[in-house]
Amino acid sequence: MSAPVLTEQALPPAPAAPRRSFLSGYLRQPVVALSVLVLLVMAVLAVFAPLIADEPAGAGADVLQPPSGAHWFGTDDLGQDIFAQVVWGTRTSMVIGLAASLLAIVLGTAIGLAAAYFRPFDAVATVITDVMLALPTLPLMIMLAAVVSPSVTTLTLIIGFFAWPEVARLIRSQGLVISAMPYIDGARVLGATGWRIVTREILPAVVSLMVVSVLLTASRAVISEAGLSFLGLGDPDAWSWGRILLNAQRSGTIAIAWWQTLFPSLAILFLVLAATLAGTRFNDTRDPRRNGG
Amino acid sequence: MSLLEIADLKVAFPGPTGPVNAVNGVSLRIESGQTLAILGESGSGKSVTAQAVTGILDVPPATVSGSVQLRGRELLTLSRKQRERVSGEEIGMVFQDAMAALNPVFTVGHQIVEVLRVRRGMSRADARRRAVELVDRVRIPAAKDRMRDYPHQFSGGMRQRIMIALAIALEPDLLIADEPTTALDVTVQAQVMELLAEIQRDSGMGLLLITHDLGVVAEVADDVAVMYAGRIVERGTVEQIFAGPAHPYTEGLLNSMPRVDRRDEQLYAIPGAPPNPARLPAGCPFHLRCPRATDECRVVLPPLLALPADRASACHHHEEVLDATRR
Repeated sequence: MSAPVLTEQALPPAPAAPRRSFLSGYLRQPVVALSVLVLLVMAVLAVFAPLIADEPAGAGADVLQPPSGAHWFGTDDLGQDIFAQVVWGTRTSMVIGLAASLLAIVLGTAIGLAAAYFRPFDAVATVITDVMLALPTLPLMIMLAAVVSPSVTTLTLIIGFFAWPEVARLIRSQGLVISAMPYIDGARVLGATGWRIVTREILPAVVSLMVVSVLLTASRAVISEAGLSFLGLGDPDAWSWGRILLNAQRSGTIAIAWWQTLFPSLAILFLVLAATLAGTRFNDTRDPRRNGG
Repeated sequence: MSLLEIADLKVAFPGPTGPVNAVNGVSLRIESGQTLAILGESGSGKSVTAQAVTGILDVPPATVSGSVQLRGRELLTLSRKQRERVSGEEIGMVFQDAMAALNPVFTVGHQIVEVLRVRRGMSRADARRRAVELVDRVRIPAAKDRMRDYPHQFSGGMRQRIMIALAIALEPDLLIADEPTTALDVTVQAQVMELLAEIQRDSGMGLLLITHDLGVVAEVADDVAVMYAGRIVERGTVEQIFAGPAHPYTEGLLNSMPRVDRRDEQLYAIPGAPPNPARLPAGCPFHLRCPRATDECRVVLPPLLALPADRASACHHHEEVLDATRR
């Protein structure tokens, strides 16, 4: 028996690891690819809604039809096409979800970064954030939405305003870590102003966190919008998934026309699930501790 | 007029049991073209002293008192805006850990270019050219190509050179180097120190070197200030200090340095640990660890007394120490 001899040939040269960009590595995950696909399809539906289906209005002849070739998702008690309602609802849900989320991100990031870098402001900001987080948001949103006349704009403002504290807390915690880095001292020694340090040194370090926040906050905003619309506090001039559910409940068809509740609910589920998965996977992919640097 | 004159500098941080006095009345002076080394162990207040000079302690919770004058201009009372103008332009700083002191998300070229554009109002092209010159000045091979690299793509020594390039980008009159070589291995340490010394010679700036490395001090410093518990305990030229220290703490430091000309079985170590700055002992802060301590030391805080030949010592028994150490 001869001992196995390890020669140079025994070790095939390691193939040079292909330099995959972060984005393609992210998109290559099946869950991510599927989520992004769902989001893209929904975005297309939202943008091209008028080309896909007529805006549901008036009364039709086919009342309470189950799903068929003519009415893919069936019809409601007024004979309106549920598919058209869901498509047009996608528009409202995505607009409010994105706009509210952006509002929350801008507010939350500004407050979070300011709290992380300007120490005196931190105490105030933290208290406000904690109070906002402790508030029961749904009753407050209901109250506010009932006071102001409901429209897509006011809904966006209300939802966005109640969503910033979680973003602020997330950004602040990461900002605190960055603020303590010696390169922040380095920037100060080089005479950088506070504004410059926050925008040019700390902000770039929290950008990926912001991307995650946009997706997660948007999915929460979609749920809030659907909830408020279901409670009758949505924009009466815009179709939304919550409003379809509300109509089903109001007309008493909720128990007999399963298609009237199933499809808008599925739409909410898919959008929220896709946005959440895309967001959390983004976070995992960018985290070097998870992918070995 | 001196380049930098610090008088009775005190820095305190709030602590759970009252203020922690990190610096307790430090006075020192640096002339242009001169290197002053502040020598001391961890927690002696040497880094805090440097930070107070750069102004990065200006934010609460630190309270800074005393006087720091740069070319006769008081820095501690400057407004934030005025202070920002002094920073970088007149005082540059080299940090200990270049990996952490450079922003990891920007290329080194971008970081130097940004400083030049913001502070000097240079055009992008001019700033680029100047940045390449600076990186070349700190002897980074293929400077032009390396501008696009991120801090983590450089070796430790290279990174420290980039740090130096950034610190001298605005041609400061005073460069503060806070343990610039501690994170590097010995051969690289020597190169970086040599580079710092060379840049200082060429530019004529003053260098305030914070270190605990006696070898570095002996090599590049003109003057030495030894710090202990937030105070300067001995001050003198590097020759004076190394030939015959006038404070038992300095004596202990020198004795704890391995030497090739002596065959010691065991390396000397100063017994005990530095005192907690929140609870400094009465009398001389060093008396608990001092082999020469007497009753007087336990009660009376020795002031920093001027000795002949422009040196100073804060020891009641400095003559005794001098006699013992001057061989």
